Amino acid sequence: MAELAEQSVTDFFTYPPIGGDDWRYTFATAYVRALETQLLSRATLLDMANAENFERAADLLSAGEYALPQANRSVAELENFLRNKRSAVRKMFSSLMVDEPIVTLFRTRDDFANMRLAIRRTVTERPLGTDYSDDGNVSAELFEEVFEQENYSLFPDYMAEAVERAVLAYYQNKDIRRIDYAIDSVQAEYNIREAHRLENIFLLGFFRIQIDLTNIRTMFRLKFTESDRRDVFLQGGFVEPDRLKHGLDLDYDAVGQLFFATPYHRLVETGAAYLLSDKSFLRTEQQCEDFLIGFLKTTNQITAGPQPVIAYLLMKENEIRTVRLLLTAKRNSLDTKLILDRLGE
Amino acid sequence: MDYGLTLALVGAGLAALMAGIGSAVGIGIAGRSATGVLSEKPERYGQMFIMVVLPGTQGFYGFLAAFLVMLNLNFFGAGGVPEISVQLGWQVLAACLPIAFAGMFSAIHQGKVCAGGILMAAKRPEMAFKAGVVYAVMVEVYAVLGLLVTMFILLKGLSWPTVG
Repeated sequence: MAELAEQSVTDFFTYPPIGGDDWRYTFATAYVRALETQLLSRATLLDMANAENFERAADLLSAGEYALPQANRSVAELENFLRNKRSAVRKMFSSLMVDEPIVTLFRTRDDFANMRLAIRRTVTERPLGTDYSDDGNVSAELFEEVFEQENYSLFPDYMAEAVERAVLAYYQNKDIRRIDYAIDSVQAEYNIREAHRLENIFLLGFFRIQIDLTNIRTMFRLKFTESDRRDVFLQGGFVEPDRLKHGLDLDYDAVGQLFFATPYHRLVETGAAYLLSDKSFLRTEQQCEDFLIGFLKTTNQITAGPQPVIAYLLMKENEIRTVRLLLTAKRNSLDTKLILDRLGE
Repeated sequence: MDYGLTLALVGAGLAALMAGIGSAVGIGIAGRSATGVLSEKPERYGQMFIMVVLPGTQGFYGFLAAFLVMLNLNFFGAGGVPEISVQLGWQVLAACLPIAFAGMFSAIHQGKVCAGGILMAAKRPEMAFKAGVVYAVMVEVYAVLGLLVTMFILLKGLSWPTVG
């Protein structure tokens, strides 16, 4: 475990190791394997992207679990429908997982997302609102209460630390993006710490990849905006921050070569080329998503273990996001080429 | 009860016990896997059933070896169980070990192979027999070899006492 934490990006070919079998998860693994067969196929997603309009795209889903009612297909209804779908998947995940701390760890994603929203609203002196996710460890009601009373001691330690760092970061130069960087940083540290505590190689690899992908996205954004900031890269990934900082000083054509010895070479090269030609991060986003999905698919080699269950949760959430993206894009009559670029080949 | 007979019965007991434990664990693994798939795809029951019961055969092999020992010791015949030498007792015990160990370990591993086959059949039902069952049968071969060695020794390699 300690060796894996020190593992560098050149120590594996495409994806880091994911650990072995855990026979306590025999039923859960088989259950999600059966469910995986019901995930939307790539062909269906491409058909949706190529559909004439929103109605046609929605009709393509009518045979499966995403069947939307014909009568009411408003934006609010669609959002509500997809949110319920996501909640149901998360509930199922909680019921299948034998290790409760892993469920808690994944719930913190909503805690951090809620916090991001609440701090942004607080520092910009907007109403706190009530639209917080209830899928986290901290209930939406408690969230509102804590921020209204500014009594952050009611939060778990990791959240109290995130609030403190985010608020401090914001008031350094009143830059709203600093809140995101600070929370991303606390979240990344927390995830890595918990993966170590749980001695879960798969989670450690997953979170380290997530950090790398976040850093690569950040590198492209900083390059594109020609920002001179260098202190926003997250620590703990496989790629050392110095390589990312060096990438900021290179041309778009050369940045791919910098990652030649890493599994992110194709991702960076494709993303940079698209950013240069189309002035858009679409392809980078798509490549990052594909890389993560590729890693999750390596759990196919596990006959029983938490890895396939976690992978199913993440793939299902990704599917829900993709459906939302496609239907929203179709509703807003976005160019099909743009949608296909986001979906990938 | 004399020492020789005790050793022979320990051998018979180990054959049935260890192979039986292996089968129970193997079926447990394959069974849990199958119920996971069946809860979403009940139509796959037939394919799953074969793979769940396959690790059960080792238990029968162990039982068969134990039964052969008991039969040769005249457990079920008239005239009672004859006295046997300590040397024969050790020989019977040694004869039972191949199926006891091969049965136990092969059943557990077969259960894992079957669980893998069940997962594959959930996604690729056409491969259920070609890969899932065939691979599991390959593990079975080694339990069969263990049983054959046990049977050869019990039936051909020992001088059993005659009753009366």
